[in-house]
Amino acid sequence: MRSIHARLALTTSAFGALLLGALLVAPLVGSTSISLARVFDRSLPFEDNVDAQIFFIARLPRVVAGALVGGALAAAGVVFQALLRNPLAAPGTLGVSAGAALGAMVAITFGLDISLAGLPSIPLASFAGSLGALGIVYALAAARRRGQSTTVLLLAGVTMTAFFSALIMFTQYMADFTDTFRTVRWLMGTLEVGGYAPLVAVAPMLLLALVLVSSLPRSLDLISVGADSAAARGVDVVRTERVALLSASLATGAAVSISGPIGFIGIVVPHLVRLLVGSDHRLVLPASVLFGAAFLIMSDSLARTLFAPVEIPVGVVTALTGGPFFLWLLLRRI
Amino acid sequence: MLLTCDVSFVYRQRDQPALDRVSVNVSRGDLLGILGPNGSGKTTFLRILGGTLRPSSGSVTLDDRPLSQWSRRDIARRIAFVPQETHPPFDFTVLDLVLMGRFPHLGRFALEGPADLAIARQAMAATNTEAFESRMLGSLSGGERQRVAIASALAQSPEVLLLDEPTAALDIGRQFEIQQLLTRLNREHDMTMVLSTHDLNFAATLCRRLVLIRDGRVLADGSTDDVLTAAHVRALYDVDADVHRHPRAGHMTITPIGRV
Amino acid sequence: MTRAALIAHVLLCVVLARMPTFGQEQPHRVVSLVPATTEMLFAMGAGDRLVGLGSYDRFPPQVAAIPRVGGLLNPNTERIIALRPDLVILYETQEELKRQLERADIPYYRYEHQALPDITSTIRALGERIGAPQRAHDVAVGIERDIEAVRRSVAGLDRPSTLLVFTREPGSLRSITASGGYGFLADLMDVAGASNVFGEIQQQSVQASAEMILARRPDVIIELQYGAGAVGRSDGLEAWKTLASVPAVRTGRVHVLTGDQFVVPGPRIVLAAQQLARAIHPQ
Repeated sequence: MRSIHARLALTTSAFGALLLGALLVAPLVGSTSISLARVFDRSLPFEDNVDAQIFFIARLPRVVAGALVGGALAAAGVVFQALLRNPLAAPGTLGVSAGAALGAMVAITFGLDISLAGLPSIPLASFAGSLGALGIVYALAAARRRGQSTTVLLLAGVTMTAFFSALIMFTQYMADFTDTFRTVRWLMGTLEVGGYAPLVAVAPMLLLALVLVSSLPRSLDLISVGADSAAARGVDVVRTERVALLSASLATGAAVSISGPIGFIGIVVPHLVRLLVGSDHRLVLPASVLFGAAFLIMSDSLARTLFAPVEIPVGVVTALTGGPFFLWLLLRRI
Repeated sequence: MLLTCDVSFVYRQRDQPALDRVSVNVSRGDLLGILGPNGSGKTTFLRILGGTLRPSSGSVTLDDRPLSQWSRRDIARRIAFVPQETHPPFDFTVLDLVLMGRFPHLGRFALEGPADLAIARQAMAATNTEAFESRMLGSLSGGERQRVAIASALAQSPEVLLLDEPTAALDIGRQFEIQQLLTRLNREHDMTMVLSTHDLNFAATLCRRLVLIRDGRVLADGSTDDVLTAAHVRALYDVDADVHRHPRAGHMTITPIGRV
Repeated sequence: MTRAALIAHVLLCVVLARMPTFGQEQPHRVVSLVPATTEMLFAMGAGDRLVGLGSYDRFPPQVAAIPRVGGLLNPNTERIIALRPDLVILYETQEELKRQLERADIPYYRYEHQALPDITSTIRALGERIGAPQRAHDVAVGIERDIEAVRRSVAGLDRPSTLLVFTREPGSLRSITASGGYGFLADLMDVAGASNVFGEIQQQSVQASAEMILARRPDVIIELQYGAGAVGRSDGLEAWKTLASVPAVRTGRVHVLTGDQFVVPGPRIVLAAQQLARAIHPQ
């Protein structure tokens, strides 16, 4: 069996190469054909260069968004599954996604029009909503006594999701048609985030989440075997769980606030990766981030081109491609 | 070595203490069994002994220093804990699980090197689990999984092994395997062991010294021969039992006859 | 009267009584859930017959006094029935409401929202239904004539490629919904002398991504604002500046048109057509 060093190097380079490939190919793909030569033709002023405009203004932000959102959701999925010791956990399980949706809903219905740090009102309100949900969950986690199972946390998350969803449905029912339509659109999720500004705005949050998450993998391994045995081996279980909760929720909130909820990545990418590299979180976490990013970028490219000029919601593509592929992998294993 | 002085522990929102002034000393090389009925406080005591649970009053000292002054990792390098069952939600390979035992020596960021791998393999050799190295944990039987759990604890290079009901889920054949393994570890590797169990016969076979606990209080503390009497069995389990030394096996056997 | 004649008379009465009341009586207590039909009824002078309106009606000013009974998604059946209407104008898709009205034996008129010509045909049909066919005909003819006038006024002029935006997220170019090649707004664009940038997409609305807009290079961009919060949404047209290569942005031909007349396919559609034409052809 190869050493962990070798496996880590192999895993990161393999998935890294996949992501690199996606990053290079995706901006070249789209409903309009553009010429790469013309894109980088300096002799043409930018405002006149349609190809360059399409490349840099329309496509590149989507590709970067795909990388950030895909990586964030995949990482959150890995961490939540380990934290809750449940393979069915997903970024939305603890209600952070629902909080983000409620925030967006409020901004849409009440026509909020404030922007902060480059984030227009809807992503801003959405992020605020996710922070609110995170606050509730964190308080619940802190109030949990040592030794209490994660079931309490899970139930609280499910309840909050249901509660927020009910609020959203209620508001939709009472709102006028346009607002309802816009909420439904938002809930479908999209990588058309509206330029680089939102990406720059959430980057610090995602960076913070990344830094927090990077200290977790080995501890998550031990905790997933059992909280008691992890503590007996020197893991600060309480601190690890709090950092895990915070980082995964932050990543989810930041991602969902700019792209809307995109399903399937947070729950399936970790499992797909585990089928390929095993359960060691030191491999699963970086591999999932890289693969999640690549997967979302590729799904968005498909969404943009499959029925051109009409675009399908990217969440539909992730579900329709990821699902059968995952099933096939599972069947092979059995 | 380990010395506990009058530890008491009360769970929040309960009136009865789980442990009431339990005072036990453990010396190097001891093979100590904590014996008692279900709910008597055995697991709680083990967790306090291992430092993962803080007593409500009193303290535990290791090498004459209170556990509260030790860092978690330092404790883990001396004391290893084997839980009753190992059922992770994600399937790890046996080697992966055993290597997790190196955590107290490596910390969060360091990766295992050849030395760690060697120690892990030694641990697996000692527990007869080398053949399982690449197998998934989920594909092993209960007895095999228990041996792997012990290997994982051994990989910590501890001086003390704490085992919580090591044979509770095992049949008589696997029990015997574990019993032989633990005896060998104690004798050949000078491993100090404290294990909790409610199985009288297992305790009688394996342990040289027993501490009887009922309702959080120590009933008796001494060598197995001295402590395992019909009177004590009655006091512990409310059961009339026949206690005598087995002619062929050489150790005490306890057979319940009727209720008190 | 002979026996036979008596029986025939009775039978005839029974049969007549069981027939749908279409064309028998003029409805005098009308509930209109559809803003368009409300305006149509007022235009044909039947506004005084309205006893209940949908929640989103805002025109003409007289509607302020009339009680509301809910909208497309949440019609309040109890309130509707409590008003004792003899005609309810509802959306074709409100199946549940239809069944409840049938049970309560209240006749209804099914409204379908489609293309420009359907506006005048609906006006005529409604006129028949409420017993004011002549007035309705006059209104319809007036609308057709005014629309024709707009069409003539821009005949022979260039037809600029135009993007008609229904909605987008404030402050950004996210979730832009624009008119496809189908529907009364698409027809209006044609009347106003514009070439719909998404004309070949046979849908009422299109989710326009930045790439699609950049590729199609509209000469004119028109944003519609309507609804309660319309006036005052001043996020401005700053957001469009990022699409610098789009001709509409470069020549500054990005306009905002405000008002419900753009989303209510009723008599005010003429106003909408005129405003649209003026925005596209300033001359």
